[in-house]
Amino acid sequence: MIVATLKEIDEIRKMIDRYDSVLVVGCDSCVAECAAGGARETMLLASALKLSYLKDHMNPTITEAVIDRQCVDDFIDQIADQVPEHDAILSLGCGAGVQALARVYSDKAIIPALNTLFIGETQSRGVWQENCLGCGSCKLGYFGAVCPVARCSKKLMNGPCGGSKGGRCEVNPEIPCGWDLIIRRLNALGELDRLTEYVPPVDWSTSHSGGPRKVVREDQQP
Amino acid sequence: MEDTPVKIVVYHCRNLRLFKDGEQKIFCRQWPGLTMVSIPCSGKIEAHHLLKTMAGGAQGVLVLACSEKACQYLEGSSRSRKRVDYARLWLEKVGISAERLDFVRIPPMDRVALENLLREFLSKIQSLEALPAIAKA
Repeated sequence: MIVATLKEIDEIRKMIDRYDSVLVVGCDSCVAECAAGGARETMLLASALKLSYLKDHMNPTITEAVIDRQCVDDFIDQIADQVPEHDAILSLGCGAGVQALARVYSDKAIIPALNTLFIGETQSRGVWQENCLGCGSCKLGYFGAVCPVARCSKKLMNGPCGGSKGGRCEVNPEIPCGWDLIIRRLNALGELDRLTEYVPPVDWSTSHSGGPRKVVREDQQP
Repeated sequence: MEDTPVKIVVYHCRNLRLFKDGEQKIFCRQWPGLTMVSIPCSGKIEAHHLLKTMAGGAQGVLVLACSEKACQYLEGSSRSRKRVDYARLWLEKVGISAERLDFVRIPPMDRVALENLLREFLSKIQSLEALPAIAKA
């Protein structure tokens, strides 16, 4: 899932103060799981904004709406009735959601309320861990399903750097060494032999270096 | 002209058993401006409920919980404490006194403790500058 965090309210206020009416739109998928932009956070932010404006003796109209996915037109259409009544949309979606809203509602100002961070997992309650960079060339099968691109600070593909101590990364001791995790896991699976195979350097042309990526599937198109 | 009563909302855990059937309404009549909301467990309360209550016009919000060891849902009371703290943080962020929001653990069925607490909380809220009223929804 996409992991994000809410922006500070002062930054949001700076961006929306010029509007008389704002539609605060949450996204009840990834960013709901990471407690940044779901229904709860939408209500929280809308209420906080109302209080913030009240304190400043201002009274813009702030309305809440939540859709299941801000990155899919079918869901975006669900707020079509509310959009014309507002000057701007404050999106609690990830960067993709914000841009999808801007594409669909091209005459409206769309303001992001989140900082989109990474692709990650919910490691435990209230803890979200980055574990995929979306490099476009997944090699998890070689590494016991622990990604050296995302989990090794040096992105080494053919063994550890030798700098880790007690299973912690030398770049930041708070991070577990990605290669320590890989070796322990392959050892537990009895598949350490996988590491004898040479893995070529990451081909970054399939990642962001190749510009914005697109997947087209004709069989999925209308 | 009569003063408008200060609007206070109290969320209280049902397991505190503060009121028997119908008593809550009678109790609230003695406290103008007071709204008591019974919830299945204080752990059901989240920061967005509290901020929405305040944005809806409440001048102060209290969450009454059972003691941590007495919580029938084990973690409810400790969770609600964290959530109230989080909501207080948000109040500070928007420049509103966090004192408007409080979390208190009281003994079950202790109506005297409740009344003392309400008196104290009300006087604290009255000492703060009133939040402006909402003109638009």
